[in-house]
Amino acid sequence: MEWDGSVTDQGNEAVPAAPRPGPATFARAWAKAVTGTSYLPMTQQQLEALLRDLTVRLAEALQAEPFDLRVGHQVGGDLVAAHIASAEGLGRTIEVIHLRLLRDLGLSGEDMQDRLARLLATVATGYARALRNRTLDEQESIRRAGMVARYQAERALRESEARFRHQATHDPLTDLPNRTLFTERLTAAISRPARPDARLGVCFVDLDRFKEVNDTRGHQVGDLLLVSVAERLRHAVADHLVARLGGDEFVILVEETTCTDDVLKVADAALAAIATPSLVGGHEITVSASIGIVEGPVAGTSPGDVMRAADITLHWAKTSGRGRWSVFDPERNEREVRRYALSAAMPAALERGEFYLDYQPLASLADGRVRGVEALVRWRHPELGTLRPDSFIGLAEETGLIVRLGEWVLAEACRQAREWSRLSPAAPFVSVNLAVRQVRGAGLVDEIAGLLEQTGLPPDRLQLEITESAMMSATGEPVRALRVLADLGVRIAIDDFGTGYSNLAYLRNLPVHELKVDGSFVAGLRAPASEPASRTDERIVATLVSLAHALDLTVTAEGVETAGQAERLRAIGCDAGQGWHFGEPAPPSRITEHLRQLPVTAA
Amino acid sequence: MRRPEWAPESIDIERPSVARMYDYYLGGSHNFAVDRSAAQAMIAAVPDAPLMAQANRAFLRRAVQYLAGAGIRQFLDIGSGIPTVGNVHEIAQRVEPDARVVYVDVDPVAVAHSREILYGVSGATVVQEDLRRPDRILNHPEVRELLDFDEPIAVIVVAVLHFIPDSDDPRGILASIRRALAPGSYLVLSQATDDGRTDGEREDAHRVYRRTDNPLFMRTRQGLTDLFDGFDLLDPGVVWVPHWRPDTLDSTEDAHRAVFMGGVGRLGD
Repeated sequence: MEWDGSVTDQGNEAVPAAPRPGPATFARAWAKAVTGTSYLPMTQQQLEALLRDLTVRLAEALQAEPFDLRVGHQVGGDLVAAHIASAEGLGRTIEVIHLRLLRDLGLSGEDMQDRLARLLATVATGYARALRNRTLDEQESIRRAGMVARYQAERALRESEARFRHQATHDPLTDLPNRTLFTERLTAAISRPARPDARLGVCFVDLDRFKEVNDTRGHQVGDLLLVSVAERLRHAVADHLVARLGGDEFVILVEETTCTDDVLKVADAALAAIATPSLVGGHEITVSASIGIVEGPVAGTSPGDVMRAADITLHWAKTSGRGRWSVFDPERNEREVRRYALSAAMPAALERGEFYLDYQPLASLADGRVRGVEALVRWRHPELGTLRPDSFIGLAEETGLIVRLGEWVLAEACRQAREWSRLSPAAPFVSVNLAVRQVRGAGLVDEIAGLLEQTGLPPDRLQLEITESAMMSATGEPVRALRVLADLGVRIAIDDFGTGYSNLAYLRNLPVHELKVDGSFVAGLRAPASEPASRTDERIVATLVSLAHALDLTVTAEGVETAGQAERLRAIGCDAGQGWHFGEPAPPSRITEHLRQLPVTAA
Repeated sequence: MRRPEWAPESIDIERPSVARMYDYYLGGSHNFAVDRSAAQAMIAAVPDAPLMAQANRAFLRRAVQYLAGAGIRQFLDIGSGIPTVGNVHEIAQRVEPDARVVYVDVDPVAVAHSREILYGVSGATVVQEDLRRPDRILNHPEVRELLDFDEPIAVIVVAVLHFIPDSDDPRGILASIRRALAPGSYLVLSQATDDGRTDGEREDAHRVYRRTDNPLFMRTRQGLTDLFDGFDLLDPGVVWVPHWRPDTLDSTEDAHRAVFMGGVGRLGD
């Protein structure tokens, strides 16, 4: 083995270039050869230092006894680890070692060429193996990064979908499910029931007087209250879907019920939870709620039907006093629907002239003469047939149509009465019922005065019937109006006398001409006079009659059905009677005929 | 199907990624067949594309080494790509062990890979953001956590701007970043130019990159110099990247073939 000088001495950079080549010379040539074969993350100096170190290890391996092939593998691996890692890098490395290593290091010997060949083979093997491993590792690493990135992108997509879905299906204030989600769930429960005979229930919850909280404490407190109510509801009926439909409306979906009781329990729990006083924005607030409950078989219904029914039932709960639940009742609903339809049809019916008047005689008990007739309005309904006032006057009062209907009745009655008064001097006066709203209306005097003038009807041929309750509420302007009318000569009668408070005070203030005693007292007079109840009624009627007479009022008894009743009333001194005994309500022609048959002298 | 507005960017590893193509040019294997095929098409059009990438990478190394030597301890590498050999934190931390580095890339695969590489590395992190949204980068919690904007920061925008068209206002983007920096901060820029290329090479290169999500927008030396607005250019200014403070003179042959020009600017006091 020939080796001129120590490797470390020769490798010292500080020493100027040695006169004879050494490891540093070879390393410089090696560095030049591999530069540009791949990206090398180091300076030229760092590269040369690295290769000098490898050169020394190769030189030692060539001279070691026994010859150690492992060094070649290691050097190949170290080159790759230092990022001298390309096919070109390996090619140039083999070339430069083969051409220069022995010469630059001054190595010779009989087996040195053999050793060099074997060493180069192991360098190439170690290098190729390291490069292959590195390639596989990098492929593995990027494949994993691709999977991670894809997974993260999918998760982000799912999360944003979930977030979007949540936003779309939840109420931002309370984070409860909103109408959309509730409708979805209700629709699913109805269209895909668990069993063919499945039932479900819905509680439609509405806070009572929530607007007052908003108005008196501000919207912020109102919102906090809604959040608190939502929280309490969520806990109280945790097994069921609680949604906020908007405003102060909440709804609870109770799926797979067995009977209405299942929903009532939920409704009770909800009412109790809502009624718990709560501290909201520093205020202790107690609210109640009303609940409309619908429960029934899923089959044959629809989400729209269920929600309509729940809405109607909620209204029932509200009108029956709040702080309670109501259960949907199809029959009641049907009645209300009919009422609604009737009330909606009324204005057009009035336009089309579907209303007409029948007249019922008010007969003198002394001589049987027809003193007056009460005008009774009828509705000739195209589908339902003839309707009596008790089936539509209440509705007309609710909708306010009573004013127009009342005007029409007054005008028609006046027109008819005028016709009769032309026919006979003995023509009866016409008695027309006035609704409370008509009495209170500002234009009553002008309206009636106008009618009298138009028709030329003598004022004393018109009687206005006003109920006790209308009289009771008549103060101020209405009282003056009635007085003006009375001064005109129009008769004023108190209808259904004896059934209200029978407060006699108004008799002092109001210009009343007649009392109409309610038929319920008269009914007692049908029984034999020996019965105590009958006697009581007779005494009441007698008292009323004497009271009326003491005040210079005439008295008409309503509901007189038999001759016996008529006789007893006449004996009491009652002035007139009205009822089947004297004639049913009939078309005006009946009265006209009657007037034509009267002897002229009767006038 | 059109992506709904609320949906995040999806990832499509069936399309070539410029980050993974760059890794291929540098001899890495952090790439998929689709990237290699695009990169090979690029090499067919511009045979010395790998040398260009190597030269640019070497520029980055020398610039970081210089800045770390000049006392810079904070680096914001925007468009960092696949963290392959010679990462900024490795270079900087070799000089300055306390150096902190934030990598930013828009490519989710590059970011996922960076995160894996950086697992357990202190003083370095990666965030997924787009250079075109500098405010999002500057206000990113991880960026703010690792970097102190009251101290100088070296902002590295290397081999990225040729993917940013003028319509995205690269000057405005760099100005936004500049305004957030403390005096004594640096900007390291490089980008592809088509100076010194034949028309055929130019057209072929554009065709390759049209297949990716990132078409090329070349700039001239003057265009690149203008992007240093507000910074004082260090010597030798904007040059072919091999000419920027080379280690040895013999590595600067045929420098114009490098395609990339670059420079380093300092934000004055």
